[in-house]
Amino acid sequence: MINTIFKRLGVALATVFGASIFAFILLRKVPGDPARAIAGDAATDDAIAALRKSMGLDDNLFVQYGNYMGSLLRGDFGFSYSTGNSVGSLLAQRLPATVELGLLSVIIAIVAAVLAASISVYSRRRWPDRLLRIASSLAMGSPPFWIALLALLVLSIQLGIFPGPEGRLSPGTLRPPNVTGMFTVDALLAGQWGTFVNAGWHLILPAIIIALGPFAFLSRLYRNQLRGTLRETFVTVAQSHGLRRFPVYSRHVAPHGLLALLPAASLLFADLLAGSLLVEKVFGWPGIGSMTADAIIQKDFAVVQAVLLLAAILYVVVSLAADLIMTAADPRTRVGAR
Amino acid sequence: MSHTNALPFSSRSMARDVITDQAPVLSVNGLTTNFDTASGTVHAVREVSFDLYKRQRLAIVGESGSGKSALAMSLVGLVPAPGRIVGGSVKLNGTELVGLDDAGISKIRGRDIGLVFQDPMAALDPLKTIGTQFVETIRVHQDVSAKVARRMACELLAEVGVNDPERRIADYPHQYSGGMRQRVLIAMAIANDPAVVIADEPTTALDVTTQAQVLDLLAKICDERGNALVMITHNLGIVEELCDSVNVMYAGRFVESSSTRSLFGSPAHPYSKALLDCVIDPATAKRGALPAIPGSPPDLSVDEPGCPFVSRCPIGRDELRCATERPEARALAGGAVVRCHFASDTPGDAA
Repeated sequence: MINTIFKRLGVALATVFGASIFAFILLRKVPGDPARAIAGDAATDDAIAALRKSMGLDDNLFVQYGNYMGSLLRGDFGFSYSTGNSVGSLLAQRLPATVELGLLSVIIAIVAAVLAASISVYSRRRWPDRLLRIASSLAMGSPPFWIALLALLVLSIQLGIFPGPEGRLSPGTLRPPNVTGMFTVDALLAGQWGTFVNAGWHLILPAIIIALGPFAFLSRLYRNQLRGTLRETFVTVAQSHGLRRFPVYSRHVAPHGLLALLPAASLLFADLLAGSLLVEKVFGWPGIGSMTADAIIQKDFAVVQAVLLLAAILYVVVSLAADLIMTAADPRTRVGAR
Repeated sequence: MSHTNALPFSSRSMARDVITDQAPVLSVNGLTTNFDTASGTVHAVREVSFDLYKRQRLAIVGESGSGKSALAMSLVGLVPAPGRIVGGSVKLNGTELVGLDDAGISKIRGRDIGLVFQDPMAALDPLKTIGTQFVETIRVHQDVSAKVARRMACELLAEVGVNDPERRIADYPHQYSGGMRQRVLIAMAIANDPAVVIADEPTTALDVTTQAQVLDLLAKICDERGNALVMITHNLGIVEELCDSVNVMYAGRFVESSSTRSLFGSPAHPYSKALLDCVIDPATAKRGALPAIPGSPPDLSVDEPGCPFVSRCPIGRDELRCATERPEARALAGGAVVRCHFASDTPGDAA
């Protein structure tokens, strides 16, 4: 068991290291000069050359990478030229908004997928399954930023059900005291009901839109897993022992579906990050996604690099955790079993 | 008349009293099951009728695809989709089972009719311990605490030959061998003391060396508890050693129903004869090609007008009647019921 964990940790470290190199090279090979972007169109060539020198852009790639890793290991993520802040403070400031949005999206995606797929498989009628297939095809096939624009246009501007792209709270709403940085949680902790409702109201639409893709993927996977399990002999055997439909389903079918959902849910993490990028931008959500979108446009290397690295670390940690939970949950792979 | 490689059964079919003067425990009449597939309706079970009495051991034999398993599943309403029972009745102690809803048939399954399946490796939920599944099986029908149910389960496990059941009950299915899993499944099937045990090829997936042990156990347990046993198999050796009476199934129908003694002594239906000719006796077998019935079973999605065995039959091949007129079940003088125009157990009985 210990051996397995160490092996997995090694692979995880290598993955993160690889991602850092990849992000570093990719960003330096895209066309366009970051010094030009920072200094502006009016800057003289001399001024830009001086700026390039001070940013270390004239050194060769190995030296640049060495400097980058060196400061990274000291906890320095670099400096964001476009905002004039250190990347570390930017991340700390914006992370809670994205975590709040991402967590809610994950919860919505998993709960909705499990419910919809369960109903579609458990129902003896055909239409719930058809409905799910159509819904998941649509959700899978439409780009989240487009849905975001459409939802804003119809639900916020036309119908006024949801707030417009104004961020996490309506202007003038009392900000909750900072505990976790997640406004809904902090408002609850402080007992500020008005703020809680307002924050939740701002949160729900972008969260649903980000959740659409993962929902489509997970609901299909869960549905297929349930259908496969229903054909297993042990299901018929449980019925032959006198278990009724629902207990057979809840005790012997659903657990197999959930077990398959776990590694998939960790895979969809990448989906979620990509989805949040433009959706945050559309909704004016002050999180990592909109910050990254801005940084890419501004060629703010330090920010994009830090986000990519963070994403790689999160991805690796989540899939490692999913693997360990899987191993613990399935008696066939549980170590120590006779 | 040993047609079989003798297996060391201790519970032979002779010298047991089958109680036939009382009403049958299970009474099946005209049971018909279809599978509606994209390429047509498959008539898997056609108008099957039989009575099963207390302590009786009844065999249903036939080739693969003859409808044996579909029949077994039809008896307890577990025909997999797209199969469905389209006619007939299954009465358990007078109660009609066909058409019961999920709640109604679930009360019967496990409590009145126990099932043992073909593949013990796939028959237990791999994510749950034996104990969890066993306790669940007991508590579905009996109002006992989990603790009491667990103790009952341990006793049953000991009865079927699981050593150290108090420890082994906490194990998962993958920690048991195939033979041991089938023992566990037998124990679960009889846990609520059903009047009828249906065993659908219970040893087909097992190692040859454990087959005899498992069959022996099944027979012993049914004898001790007075259960009636329906043994579904293609192994005639099992039938001869274990069962009192036999139904030979072909293309979804019972083509011959008789006592084991009569079937093995003088098979009436040409298909029964052909089946018995395929059994190899290792004592007298010669090297060379194994005996086989020429041709293959008919397509069950076609409802032919004549006898389904006509194309493979050594006696009816040229008869116009066999090809056009379906033989109805008729009783012969010796007691066997046969679906054949020409079958006879005594010379001169033939039509």
